[in-house]
Amino acid sequence: MNHASSANLNLTLKIWRQAGPTAPGELKTYPLTGISPDMSFLEMLDILNEHLIAKGEEPVAFDHDCREGICGTCGVMINGQAHGPDSATTTCQLHMRRFRDGDTIVIEPWHAKAFPIVRDLVVDRSAFDRIIQSGGYVSVNTGNAPDANTTLVPHHVQQDAMRAAACIGCGACVASCKNASAMLFVSAKVSHLANLPQGQGERSKRVLRMVAAMDAEKFGNCTNTGECEAACPAEIKLTNIAQLNREYIKASLFSTE
Amino acid sequence: MVTVAETLLDGHCPTGPIANRWDQRKRDLKLVAPNNKRKYTIIVVGTGLAGGSAAASLAELGYNVLSFCLQDTPRRAHSIAAQGGINAAKNYQNDGDSVWRLFYDTVKGGEWRARESNVYRLASVSTSIIDQCVAQGVPFAREYGGTLTNRSFGGAQVSRTFYCGGQTGQQLLLGAYQAMMRQVDAGGIKVFTRHEMLDVVVVDGIARGIVTRDLVTGKFETFAGDAVVLCTGGYGNAYYLSTMAKACNVTAAWRCHKRGAYFANPCYTQIHPTCIPVSGDHQSKLTLMSESLRNDGRVWVPKNKGETRSPDQIPEADRDYYLERRYPSYGNLAPRDVSSRAAKERCDAGYGVGATGMSVYLDFSKAIQHYGENVIREKYGNLFHMYERITNENPYKVPMRIYPAVHYTMGGLWVDYNLQSNLPGLYVLGEANFSDHGANRLGASALMQGLADGYFVIPYTVGDHIATRKVTPISTDRPEFHAALDAAKSRVQSLLKVNGTKSTEHFHRALGKIMWEYVGMARTEKGLLFAIDAIQKLRDQFWHDLKVVGSGETLNQNLEHAGRVADFLEFSELLARDALHRDESCGGHFREEHQTEEGECQRDDENFSFVSAWEHQGVGAESILHKEPLTFNDAPLGVRSYK
Amino acid sequence: MTDSTTQSQAGLIDQVGLRWFFRLLSSSIGQKFVMGVTGLLLCGFLVAHLAGNLLLFAGAKPFNEYAHALHAQWELLAVAEAGLLLLFVAHVYLAVATSIGNNQARTGQYVMKQTKVPGRIIGANSWMFASGAVVLAFVILHLIDLRFGLRGDVKYLAESDPEAPFKNTVAVLNNPISRLVYFIGVVVLGAHLSHGFASAFQSIGLNHPKYMPLIKLIGKIFAVVIAVGFASIVVIVPGLKR
Repeated sequence: MNHASSANLNLTLKIWRQAGPTAPGELKTYPLTGISPDMSFLEMLDILNEHLIAKGEEPVAFDHDCREGICGTCGVMINGQAHGPDSATTTCQLHMRRFRDGDTIVIEPWHAKAFPIVRDLVVDRSAFDRIIQSGGYVSVNTGNAPDANTTLVPHHVQQDAMRAAACIGCGACVASCKNASAMLFVSAKVSHLANLPQGQGERSKRVLRMVAAMDAEKFGNCTNTGECEAACPAEIKLTNIAQLNREYIKASLFSTE
Repeated sequence: MVTVAETLLDGHCPTGPIANRWDQRKRDLKLVAPNNKRKYTIIVVGTGLAGGSAAASLAELGYNVLSFCLQDTPRRAHSIAAQGGINAAKNYQNDGDSVWRLFYDTVKGGEWRARESNVYRLASVSTSIIDQCVAQGVPFAREYGGTLTNRSFGGAQVSRTFYCGGQTGQQLLLGAYQAMMRQVDAGGIKVFTRHEMLDVVVVDGIARGIVTRDLVTGKFETFAGDAVVLCTGGYGNAYYLSTMAKACNVTAAWRCHKRGAYFANPCYTQIHPTCIPVSGDHQSKLTLMSESLRNDGRVWVPKNKGETRSPDQIPEADRDYYLERRYPSYGNLAPRDVSSRAAKERCDAGYGVGATGMSVYLDFSKAIQHYGENVIREKYGNLFHMYERITNENPYKVPMRIYPAVHYTMGGLWVDYNLQSNLPGLYVLGEANFSDHGANRLGASALMQGLADGYFVIPYTVGDHIATRKVTPISTDRPEFHAALDAAKSRVQSLLKVNGTKSTEHFHRALGKIMWEYVGMARTEKGLLFAIDAIQKLRDQFWHDLKVVGSGETLNQNLEHAGRVADFLEFSELLARDALHRDESCGGHFREEHQTEEGECQRDDENFSFVSAWEHQGVGAESILHKEPLTFNDAPLGVRSYK
Repeated sequence: MTDSTTQSQAGLIDQVGLRWFFRLLSSSIGQKFVMGVTGLLLCGFLVAHLAGNLLLFAGAKPFNEYAHALHAQWELLAVAEAGLLLLFVAHVYLAVATSIGNNQARTGQYVMKQTKVPGRIIGANSWMFASGAVVLAFVILHLIDLRFGLRGDVKYLAESDPEAPFKNTVAVLNNPISRLVYFIGVVVLGAHLSHGFASAFQSIGLNHPKYMPLIKLIGKIFAVVIAVGFASIVVIVPGLKR
């Protein structure tokens, strides 16, 4: 379709290489030629790795799985932008037609104290699990549920909850925030469940515990720059953070939890 | 010739009226007292819908659960990518649905190759799944007044599919994941992420533990438990290009198979009709466009060969809406296998579109005209967005181009009605087992099965194993554990030692080509024999010419991949052999020798109405076939017509 | 902040049931909440302060009368000043404390970093701490100049002098360096407010899709009004002779 992008690309990649969590890291330069604009960004990295293996060098470690933008596994800083230049797009959904012949692309892992580097571009995001573990659920044992239509959830309420629930847990919000704040992630789960009637019982306890867990993981604070919202591939909105603030203050001031 | 075991395999189904069988079984199953449950440890491998729901439910009951996944968090299992929805016989739409109808549709959709009792249980617990998920806070789509809404899926004439936009799998998985994390907090579950299961440990004929490799440190470990629950998904990546996540693999199931668990119906592979076509040799995976799109999209190709006009310039008269033409009553909602073969037929006949000629149009212009772009955007916005990202084409303006791709595998480890494999203590859930979909799975039924198994079957059946066999705790110091650990270590070492010239990726792609070409949508005896030979040769090359860089003591994704491809190279041969042996066409297994004049499947009920469960005899050696006969009383054998 | 401090206060805190309060204050969101609330209250002070000072344009007499009337209520003034000091110290302390925490939350800087926010070059928000520091320095200077009257180069009239308020103000602003510093101070204050005003609403949880656009607009207008209002005094007042 797009004839302007049909010619293959020759690129210079500068990729963060780090052998392990405590090893020193540095940017290494790799020239790469003949990249089809129809390739995805990760397919481009696949090609690089094939070249590296052929030369007997260790391939670049990077996290990825579904390659269709939903699992949240992939995610690197591409020229200083989480998931690259496109909005509402994961790294795996970024395609090389977005780049020009001769471009230099700097690829770095997420940087945050709460996301230690495992190797190269792979980081440990288990802090997110610990936050969810602290209260990001509705306590209902299997088999306890009443008929699904017993509690009505009007369309717009469901839509609000769904938009917040769409978070894929990739960590781009933390990576793009100058404070490495996890507020967008936490607020998405808090809003999702606070908006639904099913989430009311634990509404106060949930937000108090999740924020405490978030703080304990040493994520930074929110300074309302909006970088997280702009980087989020699932289009989670800043209004969720306001809701998180509201829920937390309300729970602190009025709840007996 | 295939060696067939003399005794028939028994699925241990209850007898009596089909509607009462699950109740009957629940009455017969032995229980473990609440205060005793905490003395038992259940190992759950995999954290998708089946594994996540199983781990959460078992921990809620009081068992100690050890949960393993190879992703960096349980929330990323590939169930998350399921888009369209989940079926349930709620009959909220008042359109004549019932448990029986869902049961019948599923048996028929699977071309009478599933076990009736299992399917009926699946249909009857389907309603509880929706209740459970809603209670967890899964934001299913709603009507303005607040009641749940439904859409239609292929193979059904009722609207029984519940959905969350185009992200149903994600929301259901997050529900299960959150239930799991609640139990992690409560101390009932211990999660081991980035751990790959490399073997099952069998002691005195009973599955008692697993061997894992920590993917970050390379450390091998053994874990002992009182039951092992395998929820490790399907094997579609044997085809290299599939809609599966890159890490999906057959390794855990295959290692269980090598330890004695039977592998059932591996040849039943589902080719999904609506995927984004291959764009070039660099392609690393294929992306599904949800079947739900066929509610509003119309599938067509030009009527004239060599059509050069752009789709919007082709008048109605020159378009062939071949699904509507061939299957007037189901039209664009014909089941997956039928739609896929119809697309392949058109493309092979030279009517395909796109640069490669290997795609067909999925056109939304009528629906956009009728409902307006906003309605379509609300229903499928994220799918359209994804399509545009990948293809650089705007599906609101030009028709999507789609082509079939490997999507789901109905085959899996053989299990009985209790979901227990022939290895006592080894339970297999979700896509990893073979039990509920027969030769073809209907859309929106995979989510249903994974959650049914995890939430509503395994919590009942696993206790029976512990109570009946009086299982007692076991130590990992036993020789069986050491032997399995050493075997797993040496296999990984041997991958590192080959020191050849070709990458894992090279072999995986080569295997995929063989599989897609000869063991794909249409199979012939000649092609299958060729494929078996080619796979054997490729496997041989693999072990002589593989090149894995790096060590086994750090995160080494290349090494992980090599291990999985090594297992695919063994497993694919079994898949092809099963396809060769099943000399009939049914659902996801189409043998060109057996088709009707119109190109539909021609089953051979007289000779093939059974489950093929294969017993391993060594790599390269012919497996022994165990037959589990299938009988159909409540959904009597019929012709699967969607005309 | 830390567990040890809360534990040492445990006895009393639990007796009066205020554990929740310290938990709130030590949490990230609680701190931002206090930042937001103190910021908005300080905005209220700015309005009163600007309104009073605009009387300078009405001439020396009205301004002097206003100032003396204000100072006559010294008890209330003392309470107000103490309150203002508390707000200010809390606001500044939390700014420093959260900034330190925020810097620690990031390990190492990216070799390359670009914004993804459409249209942003350097947003007001990326230098809230810097602009806040400038405002802090300016406020201290301002207090030295006109609250405490400690400038060596300015001949202050005694506070009891009926003409002191106007004349002292003009005396300070007559110095061209002071004028430049004051001008920069109020402009940076405006920039600080242009992000801070709306941001405070976000921090206290009052971001609503229906009102936020309006709040953002009001924030910008407010910032401009405050900056232009004070700047006009800095620029024009020294020229006023009476």
